[in-house]
Amino acid sequence: MAKSMTYAILEAIQGEMRRDKLLTLLYEYQKPVAGGEKGAINLEAEFGRWRVRFCAIDEQWIVGGALGMSMIGVPAIAHIPSMTTFIPYELMFNHAGKLRHMTGGQAAFPMVLWADMAGRIPLQGAQHADAGLESSYARLAGLKVVIPSNPYDAKGLLIAAIRDVDPVIFCQYPVPASGQPVPDEPYVVPIGEAAVRTEGGDLTIVGYAPQTVEIAKAVAELKKEGITAEFIDPRTLAPLDGVMQTILKSVSKTGRLLTSDDGSYSFSNCTEIVARVAEALPGTRIKRLAFPDAPAPGAPEMLSYMRVDAARIAAAARKLVKG
Amino acid sequence: MSEQDKTRQTAGGRLGGAAGPGGAISRRGFLRRLGAIGAGAAVFSTAICQRARAQYGAAAPDGPTLEQLTAMYTDMLKIRMWETKIKDLILGGGFRGVAHLYVGEEAIAVGVCHALRRDDYIASTHRGHGHLIAKGGDLGRMLAEITHKATGYCKGYGGSLHITDVSLGILGMNGIVGASHLFAAGAAYGIKVKGTDQVAVSFGGDGSIQGNFFSSAANSAAAWKLPWIGVIENNGYQIWVRAADVYGIVDLAQRAQGYGIEGRVVDGNDVLAVHNVARYAVAKARAGGGPTIIECKTYRWYDHYGAGGAKIGADGAFGLGYRSDRELRDWMAKDPIPRFRAFLVAEKVLAEQRADQIAAEVRQAVEDAAAFAKGQPLPKPEDGLMNVFAQGAVALRAG
Repeated sequence: MAKSMTYAILEAIQGEMRRDKLLTLLYEYQKPVAGGEKGAINLEAEFGRWRVRFCAIDEQWIVGGALGMSMIGVPAIAHIPSMTTFIPYELMFNHAGKLRHMTGGQAAFPMVLWADMAGRIPLQGAQHADAGLESSYARLAGLKVVIPSNPYDAKGLLIAAIRDVDPVIFCQYPVPASGQPVPDEPYVVPIGEAAVRTEGGDLTIVGYAPQTVEIAKAVAELKKEGITAEFIDPRTLAPLDGVMQTILKSVSKTGRLLTSDDGSYSFSNCTEIVARVAEALPGTRIKRLAFPDAPAPGAPEMLSYMRVDAARIAAAARKLVKG
Repeated sequence: MSEQDKTRQTAGGRLGGAAGPGGAISRRGFLRRLGAIGAGAAVFSTAICQRARAQYGAAAPDGPTLEQLTAMYTDMLKIRMWETKIKDLILGGGFRGVAHLYVGEEAIAVGVCHALRRDDYIASTHRGHGHLIAKGGDLGRMLAEITHKATGYCKGYGGSLHITDVSLGILGMNGIVGASHLFAAGAAYGIKVKGTDQVAVSFGGDGSIQGNFFSSAANSAAAWKLPWIGVIENNGYQIWVRAADVYGIVDLAQRAQGYGIEGRVVDGNDVLAVHNVARYAVAKARAGGGPTIIECKTYRWYDHYGAGGAKIGADGAFGLGYRSDRELRDWMAKDPIPRFRAFLVAEKVLAEQRADQIAAEVRQAVEDAAAFAKGQPLPKPEDGLMNVFAQGAVALRAG
């Protein structure tokens, strides 16, 4: 059985905590415990309560405490649940992203904000089924944002984030255990590098996290019809420059760009990618698919009507290529 | 041997210890005087006077050395004269920067920071010049920074609000009210992970305890007995809003009880009172006894920001709409610096002549700092793209 996203993440933290004797995890109720074929991981049992600390329901402390610790050279991971994404926003925006610059390079925050992201889950209601909030972090100066779409990237990106001396927001959406197998040993997926999931010449499709599942289905469907899509998973949303090199190279070949997003239509990461493509490659045919600018309803029939799925991606691709 | 020479011979002897060979100060006599000054100078309710007296009983067993007392006096003067110089520079026109002046509150920064070691941490505020000076900041590099010069502490990026020397254990001066408490508590957690006996102190005004930064800091520090000391500099005003108009309590340290933390109220214009309670809190924190919240009652002589209502060559900002001149004059009469000087002279820690000499030396140091800052180079414009991340520069997008 392949390693789950959670197992891959805890395996990354376990390896880094063995390597760095000060690395500390603050969390609230989500126990850092996972079972797998390679044996169970229980971080508190292995590293003790000071380094693996459950906290009150207080995201301000979890993130602010992690920032304070990291300022004195104790690297920290702050894990917050998905419905609280913006509670620590002020701390990341006004402090984590600014103090290095404000102090002329003196202050550093070697910390990771491990932010759970809900995704468009049915039968929850708007507060527990949000998506796309990563764009709000990605637009802030001084912060890096990574967003894995499979367990392999999750482990490698998290290790890169932990080893990075700058603050990194690691966005964990629920995604199935797909993609390449996760090695037991630590490895790094570099921050700032996109992945080309499938190669193709007719159009470029960009999407990440849960949308990669829908895009992959659509790409397979389109291939049967003779349309080859180049599917790019950005993996990093900030800084975006390295990712854009891959996307621009692809679009300069295909001349068409389709983006697919679980987040709301306006001011999303895909909006930024589209803007940069439009600026660099005038004449590109572009289509954006996204969730409406609305909260996510709990009723499944409303939610699936509003969400982008494989059929809609394929339809938009056909229109871009043939229309 | 003159009397003052005898006094100097005892320098290095602790106030709480036996009298030195010169016999200048007996332990009992000195402590009685300390207590008398602390209680006599308390200007609040009778209850606070009683608490102020009680604080001396709870002071750490070792007192400051005579050298430390002199250093404390020197640092108070440094803050006063350096900031007064800035006030005059602002009023002179063309000042390349801003300032939230700390004048009047010197006893707090000095009383607290002199209870700390160099490797202890402090987190400071928008009104933070005094904290940096008391922790050992260089006056010239500070003035260079607040005028945004390339050789300032933050290379011109930060200015007055963010001036910091990380090598002195300063976790940043933070322009967002209350954040200092949270970062210091986080640092205190980090100290426990490292397993050292350092402490982390946060400063914040009376406005800093109502937002949830303070609550998150205090609750976590209490839950895990973190070596955190929260210092509330209660100068009575949140910008122009009277604390009395927006709080349901008078003594803000009462909040400590709700978190399970020991809270102390102290006369923030009495450097020895502040120092004693800080020393006690630091010793407790180092020994694993957990956090303390210390409220220091004080007053700022100038406006929240800048030099409005002030004059070149004169102390205090008068005619501000939100407070009365009489209130300011009452507080200026409780100036912590002459008060401490009178004590040091009366106790023969300093002779009048030596106290004057120190003042002259500090005045010269401030003039030297101003001359240094004036001659410093401006930053390179393109450096604005640097230090966003540890590596590299961000792209210029303006053209």
